[in-house]
Amino acid sequence: MSGVQLEGITKSYGALQVVHGIDLEVQEQEFVVLVGPSGCGKSTTLRMIAGLEEISGGTLTIDGRAMNRIAPKDRDVAMVFQNYALYPHLNVAENIAFGLRIRKESKEAIQAAVDEVGGILGLTPYLDRKPSDLSGGQRQRVAMGRAIVRRPKVFLFDEPLSNLDAKLRTQMRAEIKRLHKRLGATSIYVTHDQVEAMTLADRIVVMNDGRIEQVGSPMELFLNPANSFVAGFLGAPPMNQIKATIADGASSPVANFPGGQLALPPLPGLQNAVGREVIVGIRPEYAQIVTEAQPGSVACELDLVETLGSEALLHMSIQDEPFVIRTETLGAMDTLHAVTGFTAAPELIKVFDADTGMALSGQIRVA
Amino acid sequence: MNGQGRIGTLRLLLNPPKAIAYLVGQRHAIKDHLAREWRLYAMLLPTIVWLLVFLYKPMYGLQIAFKDYSIFKGVANSPWIGFEHFETLFSSDQFLRALRNTIAISFWSLLIGFPVPILLALMFNEILNKKFKSTAQTIVYLPHFISSVIIAGIVITAFSPSAGIVNTIIGWFGLDPVYFLTKPEWFRPIFIGTTIWQEAGFQSIVYLAAIAGVSPTLYESAVVDGASRWQMMWKITIPSIMPTIIIMLIIRIGNMLEVSFEMIILLYQPSTYETADVVNTFIYRQGLQNGQYDFAAAAGLFNAVIAFILVIGANTISKRYSRTSLW
Repeated sequence: MSGVQLEGITKSYGALQVVHGIDLEVQEQEFVVLVGPSGCGKSTTLRMIAGLEEISGGTLTIDGRAMNRIAPKDRDVAMVFQNYALYPHLNVAENIAFGLRIRKESKEAIQAAVDEVGGILGLTPYLDRKPSDLSGGQRQRVAMGRAIVRRPKVFLFDEPLSNLDAKLRTQMRAEIKRLHKRLGATSIYVTHDQVEAMTLADRIVVMNDGRIEQVGSPMELFLNPANSFVAGFLGAPPMNQIKATIADGASSPVANFPGGQLALPPLPGLQNAVGREVIVGIRPEYAQIVTEAQPGSVACELDLVETLGSEALLHMSIQDEPFVIRTETLGAMDTLHAVTGFTAAPELIKVFDADTGMALSGQIRVA
Repeated sequence: MNGQGRIGTLRLLLNPPKAIAYLVGQRHAIKDHLAREWRLYAMLLPTIVWLLVFLYKPMYGLQIAFKDYSIFKGVANSPWIGFEHFETLFSSDQFLRALRNTIAISFWSLLIGFPVPILLALMFNEILNKKFKSTAQTIVYLPHFISSVIIAGIVITAFSPSAGIVNTIIGWFGLDPVYFLTKPEWFRPIFIGTTIWQEAGFQSIVYLAAIAGVSPTLYESAVVDGASRWQMMWKITIPSIMPTIIIMLIIRIGNMLEVSFEMIILLYQPSTYETADVVNTFIYRQGLQNGQYDFAAAAGLFNAVIAFILVIGANTISKRYSRTSLW
């Protein structure tokens, strides 16, 4: 088992730089998820760790050894690919054994390893089948089996669940989590799905445009996003972000919206900031509905109610700016259609600089 | 027809008004389909016309294989003589020799010539320098675009006993010149070598296309697993293009008796007939040079029947053992 360090890692294709100096330290046995929108450089970073892409600048260290010039096979990493990368002409057992055969392990050792992995992943009944005779979930399990059978120092996952349907994805996510607990291997996982990132990661690395936006535990990132990008990326639906102007309140500063006022947390960044334009971030889960105008609430128009069962999503608008509220439905179905505005507890409100998008310093930690 | 289809047809037959309505509906469906897709059919038309004119219409003339054909009486009016031409054919030493030669040349061409384009494609695939790769490919494809007459001219010149490069090299070692093209034992190696030189490069395009279709992640996964380029070629590339190799092999076996006879006509001479005369050159001599059209048609028909059996056989074997087949 081993840690991975990235120091100032860059990647350029000719004059085009796609990864701009990544600094990251993945601890031994840690499960780190790189998440970000398409084209943010997360897969390229993973491929550089695997050795499938050359590193343009910086240093990659695995287990304390610089790996920049080391061939992929000597890095002791295993990778699970999005499209499974199974050999169609080999059966499940042969696919799992491929890496061991290449390394000329003994027949007995290969057989024992394949049997063990088959048992762990529930593939024993399918060992003689070809990949074309398997379902998507089974194929992905074979791909994982091929990775774990070598017992590498580091596991790399490149969007392994993207090709599966929603139900299977949830199931496989839990299996990956269980597998990591069982094997305790250092894992780096790339996805664009923030739900996967939140559920799997010990730490999440949010990337955008070839740079790291924020690194932290899922709850840290969820509750205290460093900037409006992270706030908008994590959470489903994402955090509402509305422009407001700072004004003086009775005990703390308030945010003035077109439809009302909300009390803000007493942040140092908001001292002497009257008249300053900011972005106020409120998670859909933390906004509370009001059915009658009252002080400390913001009036808005209800456009649509989406009922999800135990919860509902209220799609509102504050002078054409969208605002979503997630609320419970139990015993509240009648009031949902009578909503006229919302309010939120000051400690659950985030404030971002309107120009830079950065969170104002001194955000209250809620965990 | 499956069970359900049969029952459906039966129901229609028992109910004439419904059957008429069904047929009218079918006609409308065909009409609508044609109105919508007529452009595709228009594009298909030249090929259908070509097939009819050059492959199906000549089949009418096949009957002369069983007739005492006279150009004055025509195909229809010439008298039937049954299998007489076939009896003559199988008692002809010349035909049996041509058949033996055809099988021998085909067998060696297949054994030596079939793997060459595959090897070329695998080698091209391993070349990393793009400029070198495209130059090498152009050089290897080039002979395909040169007329067989010129290719034969080059071969005849190269093996000439007086000025040919082969004999010049032999001369450097103090050996006497050999007139290769008059020696029966040299004809087959020269012919097979020439056809490989002319066609292998162009045939490799099919395999290169198949290699291009292999998912790059299979190689990436193998690289991470520690496979060398050699191992990747054996364990990924070749198994991945195996269906293409099998299809090409079936087609090749089907064409086994269709030895490139124009090249043989250009290279052989009476002194090498012993090893060079094949069924097609025999047909050419009997039919066009000696005017025995009926006899030549019998030999041609025999050739076609054998080719048909070979294709069916190869396809059946391939289907059974590799799940890959032409149909």
